[in-house]
Amino acid sequence: MKFDVSHDGAVCIVKVIGSIDGTTSQELQDTLGKLLGPDRKNMVIDCTELSYTSSAGLRVLLGGVKDSRRMGGDLRLAAVQAGVRKVLSLSGFDSILKIYPDASVATQSFAA
Amino acid sequence: MNPHAHTSSLPPEGAGPPRGGSSAVTMQTKKRIAVVIGAGSVKCAAGIGLAKVLAREGIAIDLLVGASGGSMFAAVMAQGLPHEETTELVSQLWTRDLTSQRDNRAMLSALLPRMFGFDEKFGMKSDALVMQRLQAVFGNSRIEGTKTQLLITATDFHTGEQVVFSRGKLTDAIRASISIPFIFKPWTFDGRTYIDGFMSDPLPVGPAVREGADIIIAMGFDSPMQENISSPTRFAFQLSSIMNNNLQRARFAFHNAAHHGEVIAIVPEFEQRVRLFDTAKIPYIIEEGERATEAILPQLHRMLAQGERSLAAVA
Repeated sequence: MKFDVSHDGAVCIVKVIGSIDGTTSQELQDTLGKLLGPDRKNMVIDCTELSYTSSAGLRVLLGGVKDSRRMGGDLRLAAVQAGVRKVLSLSGFDSILKIYPDASVATQSFAA
Repeated sequence: MNPHAHTSSLPPEGAGPPRGGSSAVTMQTKKRIAVVIGAGSVKCAAGIGLAKVLAREGIAIDLLVGASGGSMFAAVMAQGLPHEETTELVSQLWTRDLTSQRDNRAMLSALLPRMFGFDEKFGMKSDALVMQRLQAVFGNSRIEGTKTQLLITATDFHTGEQVVFSRGKLTDAIRASISIPFIFKPWTFDGRTYIDGFMSDPLPVGPAVREGADIIIAMGFDSPMQENISSPTRFAFQLSSIMNNNLQRARFAFHNAAHHGEVIAIVPEFEQRVRLFDTAKIPYIIEEGERATEAILPQLHRMLAQGERSLAAVA
């Protein structure tokens, strides 16, 4: 798994490349922990190249959502591929996460 | 209380070696792999596809858990038979004529309850053929005698709680687990009455978590929505599907959040519509199960390899 981190104004965009599971989730958790802060509480996870997530990945995403919302921001998903979307749907996580068609729309959603 | 039904007294993790299903891969990784097959009638045959792929990859299943239709398929898979034979057996078990015999007395009791007496043993269809088929396939085999450790879930009709069968006659546990509401009457044995396993959890990951499985491969199925509501039965099925799907999401979300290890969800996609008794589509369903399992193989291998690395570090 690789990350590509960029910023658009106050929004941090993390493109996750590969898959999130028990072997990689800690790395993502550490990355989110470093990036999220009171001054950077809005985040977009660009899932264009995220091929898969297991329960470990879901837990990290949920943790990121909780942390960002606790700070008054949000963590939003963009370009979720079919396989990941199925897991989000089966686990009901799609009911608590905001999901957008691409990173640009997700980033703009913070301005709305 | 039924001595074979448990909700909290299962053997603790590591209490004993898995039956027969242990393999070189399991020994190397020390990671216990559980496969959970959720409710889904004939779609549960996708579990055979899952097992085929795992066997091909040399990955042994340590524990099988099944609910409702999944209990039947898990029970056959737990026998450790060749996949062709497993497919043949489930094809014999689950056919449309299972629901061909109406239970006239039950229907009359629903229409005229005072005259015919209505009670909890209500089901519109006779279960005689179901029991005949289960008996033919499983005979007097017991859950604790299967080659791979097996757990079957049902729901206590009076309390609504999930019940996990880890011992006892396979026919009783499966019959209890497939007591589809309104269709087959609840099943009573050893003083307790059970309804379909999906009523408490359509995808019972919980028992695998409790058993200490490190990697849980959970194959779940959404209940289909009715194309039209043209009969009371379809109306009942529609309500059942709505509740089932929402319950599945809620329970699965909880288990995802609660489990210390990995829950790998597999949701086979069926482009062809698969109805409750589309037994003729079993080969197609197995193929889709294989396809869906192959999609998660890279992650599964990586997790197993991580276990090997951890062991090497300890050594």
